[in-house]
Amino acid sequence: MTRRDLSRMLAAVLAGRLPRALPGAAMPARRMVLITLGGIRRQESWSPAGLRYIPHLYHDLLPQSLFYPYAHNEGVTSHFNTISSILTGVWQHVDDWGSEKPANPTLFQHLQTQTHCGPQQTWVVTSNKQLTANISPGVNVILSKQLMVEAVERIINGQSQRSRLERQQILDEMTALLQTDYERIGWGVPSESAFRDPAVKQTLLAALASFIHGPDAPASGDDLTFLIAREVLSRLAPALLMVNFSDMEVAHSGSYSLHLGGIGRSDRLCHSMWQFIQSSPALRDKTTLVILNEFGRDPDGSSTNGFFNHRTDTESCRMAWAMVLGPAAGAPKVVEREIRQIDLTPSMAAWMGVDCGRLPGVILPEFHA
Amino acid sequence: MPEQPPLPVDLIRRLPATFGPALRDQFAQWNLLFSAERRQLQAQLDWLSRLPREEFDRLFAPLAAIESRMALPGWNSNAATLGVRDTGILARSPAYPQWRAEVERVFTRIDEATAPSAGLQGLRRLVVCVLPSGIPLQDQPLWPDLAREGAWLPLERPFGGMLPSFGAAIATRTAAPELDRDERTWVIECDSRFSALPGVPVLSWAELDALRREFLRRLNAVQRDLRSVDQTGEELRRADIGRLTPPAVAANARVREFLRGVLLSGNGSLVFPNSFVEWGASEALRRAQPQALIACFGIREKLKPFSSLVLFEDQNRANPVADQEDATGSLVDALLLSRYVYLAAQRVACYPGHTLTLLAACDSNRVLALGAPGADLPHAPAAAEDLAGLALRWLD
Repeated sequence: MTRRDLSRMLAAVLAGRLPRALPGAAMPARRMVLITLGGIRRQESWSPAGLRYIPHLYHDLLPQSLFYPYAHNEGVTSHFNTISSILTGVWQHVDDWGSEKPANPTLFQHLQTQTHCGPQQTWVVTSNKQLTANISPGVNVILSKQLMVEAVERIINGQSQRSRLERQQILDEMTALLQTDYERIGWGVPSESAFRDPAVKQTLLAALASFIHGPDAPASGDDLTFLIAREVLSRLAPALLMVNFSDMEVAHSGSYSLHLGGIGRSDRLCHSMWQFIQSSPALRDKTTLVILNEFGRDPDGSSTNGFFNHRTDTESCRMAWAMVLGPAAGAPKVVEREIRQIDLTPSMAAWMGVDCGRLPGVILPEFHA
Repeated sequence: MPEQPPLPVDLIRRLPATFGPALRDQFAQWNLLFSAERRQLQAQLDWLSRLPREEFDRLFAPLAAIESRMALPGWNSNAATLGVRDTGILARSPAYPQWRAEVERVFTRIDEATAPSAGLQGLRRLVVCVLPSGIPLQDQPLWPDLAREGAWLPLERPFGGMLPSFGAAIATRTAAPELDRDERTWVIECDSRFSALPGVPVLSWAELDALRREFLRRLNAVQRDLRSVDQTGEELRRADIGRLTPPAVAANARVREFLRGVLLSGNGSLVFPNSFVEWGASEALRRAQPQALIACFGIREKLKPFSSLVLFEDQNRANPVADQEDATGSLVDALLLSRYVYLAAQRVACYPGHTLTLLAACDSNRVLALGAPGADLPHAPAAAEDLAGLALRWLD
């Protein structure tokens, strides 16, 4: 029996027994869900002309939130560097394609070290292929969209016995990939990554089946990411879950309408995540949800082709925002003062009772109201 | 057309490290540069080589200081062009924003000094952007921001009916003798309406189907590491694409290589037809600087479930769902992208203040005119020949 066979067998055995949360695991008193969104400019979001693209953030979530409309990204405005900066509290300057680890410990690592929580308490579910498992060693990372992309590519390129992009065939292909080849998926994912517990695979497979055969015929990578993240939250209730939505990054290919569609979808999914947390007695009063965009995008008329990219040293590209919901938010409030994205790290850590040591960012006083 | 000057080895040695590869690359490609680019490069080199040593050092000293802090991996003035990994190292340096700002400052200074001699500055120019037939124009106002700066010209009938004769009149006009053939008129289009126009660079998304598929096929086979990306990029830059392009494009080496550059430089030009038109037009304005440019947008297909996740793919290959046009989305795309073409012209020194821009929709009987204070714009509904006459008088 090979290790793979053993892994399959354990997954099968555990499939029918997966509890709502793993037995014996210490249940954290406070939980954090961090949602990062890809590049969204202010003109397509928090501006008079942009509010129509984020109706849920504006109408449903803002009135209950602690909102920082000006969160400055002073680092490299690429996905991996920005997210690893937010997770470490230090501006990172590592390989954009995720082949390097952040140069400083992440919030996940501090949490694991100081609370002795297991890997099942720390999760990343991401749509963005650049967010490899290097984002935080020792954390469960699910490259959900990449899994589906890989399955579709294998069918299209004839590398599979399956030949059509039909629902069951895609599900079969994704299942096969998960069982045999998951750790190869993604951009240079090292083998130490991914699932720390084989039972989790079964959770994921259940989510995939639900996604593929669900009533709404979803086809977006972010829909899949949401579904998997919700499944992880529901069944495992981790202390820290990071979710990344990136459908709006179709902007790199120049379709403005699809970019706006991606913004609208992330708006809807953020609201759905909050509704889900509020609907769960186990999560409702203990879980803080933080939502932020990684950065904006380049301004119209820039030599970098405007909204296609996020490379300029401009306010349009660097000025993001952050929203806090739940127990850490306190009374609803809009803080007009400009903050830095790396201020969120010590703030989230302090709320969770974790000490990140000396960081360049400051703890936001409103965060603990 | 300016002849190739000798490689200014001494000058390159004195320039900051990041300038060397770019300049060497320009010289290596000299035969494929357009006349405007050659004039510009020649003027820049002449000016820099005449610049007194002290001024030269003063111009580049801040940039050299920034580069010394960037820990660039062994680059020197002899390096060839930079790969994906090299540019990644540059872009993630903490000093990158300062580096980029300083490069911009240096070029602003150089361009101020050389623009009058480098370009055909006084020439009047024309940019035309056309939205396709079949998009729901009633869904939203057309170019509301730009409309405040321009004037709507009424037409006797929808512009689409005038477009063939209008385009032909522009393309076949007698141009100023100082313009070479690639500086007169360019057409970038989604369909192949103008592909038979003689003597004019016409890049048609529809006519380039075979080339696009071949590039996509090769790009889909890229292994997921940066070395493979660089290697495939290099292979595609060297591949013989003549057999996959229309004869007129294949026969014009500069246009053929321009096309290759557009398709391989991202920005959706291999994926969406309107991105190809916008990026192709913007690059043509920046590089070839034609006196007249016509950009015709189109309607893209809706992305299909699941295959929409894999953008670099022919979604018909394995997906049984029938194609559907996305007319509403295409209107949103084309409105912004046509505005980007207008803005791209504003970034090239020879266009602002000298350019009549016409923004039109095939199904609309009016045209938005921008930036033409001296043009004799009609108030009564114009016929096709009136509109063409207006444009030709402007260019004459």
